[in-house]
Amino acid sequence: MQFTVEHKPTFAHITGTGRLNMVGAPKLREVVAEVVSGGSNHVVVDLGGTEFMDSSGLGALIGCLKLARQAGGDLRIANVRPQVQMVLELTSMNRVLTPYDTADEAFRDA
Amino acid sequence: MPEPSVHRARRGPATAETVDAVHNDLDGLWAEADFVPEPDRMAFTLAVVEAATNVVVHAVPAAEDPLELEVDITAEASRLEARIYEIGAAPAEVEVDGGMPAAESAAESGRGMALIQALVSAVVFERRDDTNVWVLCREYRGS
Repeated sequence: MQFTVEHKPTFAHITGTGRLNMVGAPKLREVVAEVVSGGSNHVVVDLGGTEFMDSSGLGALIGCLKLARQAGGDLRIANVRPQVQMVLELTSMNRVLTPYDTADEAFRDA
Repeated sequence: MPEPSVHRARRGPATAETVDAVHNDLDGLWAEADFVPEPDRMAFTLAVVEAATNVVVHAVPAAEDPLELEVDITAEASRLEARIYEIGAAPAEVEVDGGMPAAESAAESGRGMALIQALVSAVVFERRDDTNVWVLCREYRGS
């Protein structure tokens, strides 16, 4: 799993490419922890290149969401593919991690 | 015409790398078993990866020999089956019908087994000799 971080005016835009599984999950936690500790507490995780997510990947996203909220911000997800959407729906986590169509839409209300 | 049947098998150390290799095997299997509809591929891939990951994370070796993971997958015209072996594992019990944690609890783990339950028609976890075996089966309607 490869991650890139781009700092936009109102949020940090993290893109993840590959499989968000037991290998990718700790890497996502590291990337988000670094971004939040660097002062960006509004984070969008763009999953457009994430072909697969399992329960460990979902657990990492939830952990990252808590981290951003503890820092007074929020974490939102965008651009999810059908497999990720399936996992969110089966676990009902789409109620907590609502997917936005694009990264720019995610914090339009902020 | 004979019923189509596509098979993949892999055995290796119980590590994340082996789980990734099994995932690659599944991608190759779907390319060959093009009669399986996409939603069924997606569901079964996740179920197999969840079970194999459970072996890597939770299985305990029975002796000093390192644990091994073996995965046999078969795709047929209306049925997908995976046998996942925890070779050299101590006897274990897995709660195959535990519920899904509530979304509001924001738990970071504990969803794997509930996901497998939701994704397959039947799941069996049993002991055979020195091995714990998961049998996952998904029946589907062919396209």
